[in-house]
Amino acid sequence: MLANLVLSFNCTYLAVLLSFIRFNKHVGNFFSSQHTNNWAVLVCTSRFWFNYRHVANTLSVYRSVKRLGIPDSHIVLMLADDMACNHRNPKPATVFSHKNMELNVYGDDVEVDYRGYEVTVENFLRVLTGRLPPSTPRSKRLLSDDRSNILIYLTGHGGNGFLKFQDSEEISNVELADAFEQMWQKRRYNELLFIIDTCQGASMYERFYSPNLMALASSQVGEDSLSHQPDLAIGVHLMDRYTFYLLEFLEDIHPASKTNMNDLFKVCPKSQCVSTPGHRTDLFLRDPGSVLITDFFGSVRKVELTTDAINLTEPITPVEDQEKEPYSYVDQLPVSEIIHQKPKQKDWHPPDGFILGLWTLIILVFFRTYGVKHLKHIF
Amino acid sequence: MAAPLTLLLIVAVSIRLFLFRSSLVGLIAERVEVVSPLNAWKRVIEGLALLDLGVSPYSGDVFHETPLIIYLFHFVVDYAEITFMLADAITAVALYLAVKDYNTQVLKKQRLELEADRYPMDCLELVRSPKQMYYIPLKVAMFYLLNPFTILSCVAKSTCGLNNAVLALFFLFTIKKNTLLSAIFLALATYQSIYPITLCAPAMLYVMQRQYIPVNYRWASFWWFVAQYLFMYLGSLSVIVFLSFFLLGSWDYVPSVYGFILSVPDLTPNIGLFWYFFAEMFEHFRLFFLCVFQINIFFYTIPLSIKLKDQPVFLMFMQLAVISIFKSYPTVGDLALYLAFLPVWSHLHRFLRNIFLVTCVLIACSALFPVLWHLWIYAGSANSNFYYAITLLFNVAQILLVSDYFYAFLRREHHLTYGLYLKKKDGSEATLVLK
Repeated sequence: MLANLVLSFNCTYLAVLLSFIRFNKHVGNFFSSQHTNNWAVLVCTSRFWFNYRHVANTLSVYRSVKRLGIPDSHIVLMLADDMACNHRNPKPATVFSHKNMELNVYGDDVEVDYRGYEVTVENFLRVLTGRLPPSTPRSKRLLSDDRSNILIYLTGHGGNGFLKFQDSEEISNVELADAFEQMWQKRRYNELLFIIDTCQGASMYERFYSPNLMALASSQVGEDSLSHQPDLAIGVHLMDRYTFYLLEFLEDIHPASKTNMNDLFKVCPKSQCVSTPGHRTDLFLRDPGSVLITDFFGSVRKVELTTDAINLTEPITPVEDQEKEPYSYVDQLPVSEIIHQKPKQKDWHPPDGFILGLWTLIILVFFRTYGVKHLKHIF
Repeated sequence: MAAPLTLLLIVAVSIRLFLFRSSLVGLIAERVEVVSPLNAWKRVIEGLALLDLGVSPYSGDVFHETPLIIYLFHFVVDYAEITFMLADAITAVALYLAVKDYNTQVLKKQRLELEADRYPMDCLELVRSPKQMYYIPLKVAMFYLLNPFTILSCVAKSTCGLNNAVLALFFLFTIKKNTLLSAIFLALATYQSIYPITLCAPAMLYVMQRQYIPVNYRWASFWWFVAQYLFMYLGSLSVIVFLSFFLLGSWDYVPSVYGFILSVPDLTPNIGLFWYFFAEMFEHFRLFFLCVFQINIFFYTIPLSIKLKDQPVFLMFMQLAVISIFKSYPTVGDLALYLAFLPVWSHLHRFLRNIFLVTCVLIACSALFPVLWHLWIYAGSANSNFYYAITLLFNVAQILLVSDYFYAFLRREHHLTYGLYLKKKDGSEATLVLK
């Protein structure tokens, strides 16, 4: 909570400072985006040790997003497996993104919201649409409103039109597009940036139809996204190529940078990532050249400038005493008179005809067995 | 013999009372080996509660017992424990009286054959004497009442006890040659679970034997008797079915009871063979295998009755065993009924070959059932295959028991006809093989 406040204070301070310096030139830029808060949903969908690179991908984007100002309370981090404490990890409590262990993206303050088997298609869609059971804690919810810019990052194994979750289920591009449409209709985002790093990732954004969506993918349909480098000490590939170069790009961004989306689209050309990254901006209402990276990856607060002076030293005049009604105990409604009385439960009884028939039969059989002569005692 | 029987009844009732008042009742009442979806007490209470709420007790796949059980328990639900103990007592007394009468018949028949010189000289040691057979009825009652399976079934208040009582009364009235009552009780037993219909054949055969009607399709009296018995049986069955319709005013009970027994929708594990098989069955094969499994029970009647037409009581024992093993929802209470008959065939023990193996397997499997259930459901370190393996082994042991007795019975009959020491043509000792 305190870290949250400090970070936001920092961001506002920086923004105010910079705005004073370049007041006239960039004020238009400054107010172009209409968001007031930033959220990030970062999902790694694969488990097992050999999918280390997907967890490292997600954690490196998490690190960048946190460094640029989005607090943990506004990040929903979903990791399908625990690589840092996996018993096959030769360097426990670390997840590296560069070989030779240059950068530990796990760090000291990673807050994973959905871990292990909680990362399912159902949970992911529920987080996006907000339809979670009332008992879900706040850290597991995407509490965005219509002024939120959301970054959604997915990584894992995918194919043409689907993304595999946990090795046992899939989410299709149609489901994803429908989830985003639900979010739009419920006014859960202002603008949404969707990044996906899987094989044939471009197929996942083909079906989007809601406004204000921008999408990036690491490979086109028919292409595979490749991993970057294996580390011989850890024994697995550490990162995927696209996210590796994305991380390098993001390391140069700071909260005040003015880099825009067109630079992001140039990250990882075919010479570096053997696949062709793709992007989709037709649903986005603003020109991508005017969208700042920090609009999605950082949490730059908007500040209103005013030239009026505010006097904080005069005593505050009390509001006039309003005539307050004395509160009194309201009489209880005569509920029992209003609603129906519950009908008294009638015990079930077998019908009389049945009892008569049954006992007549029994008596007949008795007399048939033991002779008719007993009947004369009755008649 | 009334005094030992009374003593036995008192001992049995006290064991059951003691267990009823102990803390094991809840544990036993929910064990799947002892109760099945058909005869669980919990479901009877649910059905009665639904009825009190004004809803048909057969709505919602909860209650699968017949309306007459509703009628009975509507009045005695507060005395349920006494009812079940009474049912066990009635079963034991009925079996006792029946076996006593049967022994008299056996001895009479044996004397006739001895006087007619039908037995070869060397098999006189196989002939039974009244002294040997004196304690058999008491042993039968004891085998039923003190069998741990029966006690468990009674303490769990499973309606299997009531079914056993009806079957025992049917047996008693068949032995006493009372056609009408035997038909009525068989109709009641069939009404409760469909399978006792196969006991029609041994009942008819026995009564025909006692009435000296030859079992030959050429004789008119044979057909006349069969028609009479079937008329009484089917008539009482339809009367009971229509009475049940009048009790609740609807036919819901037919799909809930008979549809449930025949189509086996509930695959809760039990000691039978259906659940595992149908859990992994593809939908389009289900009907076929359902028919195969159900026909399996009815299939043995005709061949066995052709072979055993002179010994209908043994046929009844075998048929009861086949029903208990192959029915769709067996419980240990069903086993208890046919195990109670074993003392009647105690003279066959010298010809039994696998009895040690069978006893060990039955005891071991009974002990392993709760262990593997715990490992599967609670500890999670086993799976359904383990439990089904024990179920299979248990059923194989039962089948082996029944076939062993069948072998011993037939072998004794063979010896009584051809002599005890059989010789091959060259004079060396021969062995008999059941082919």
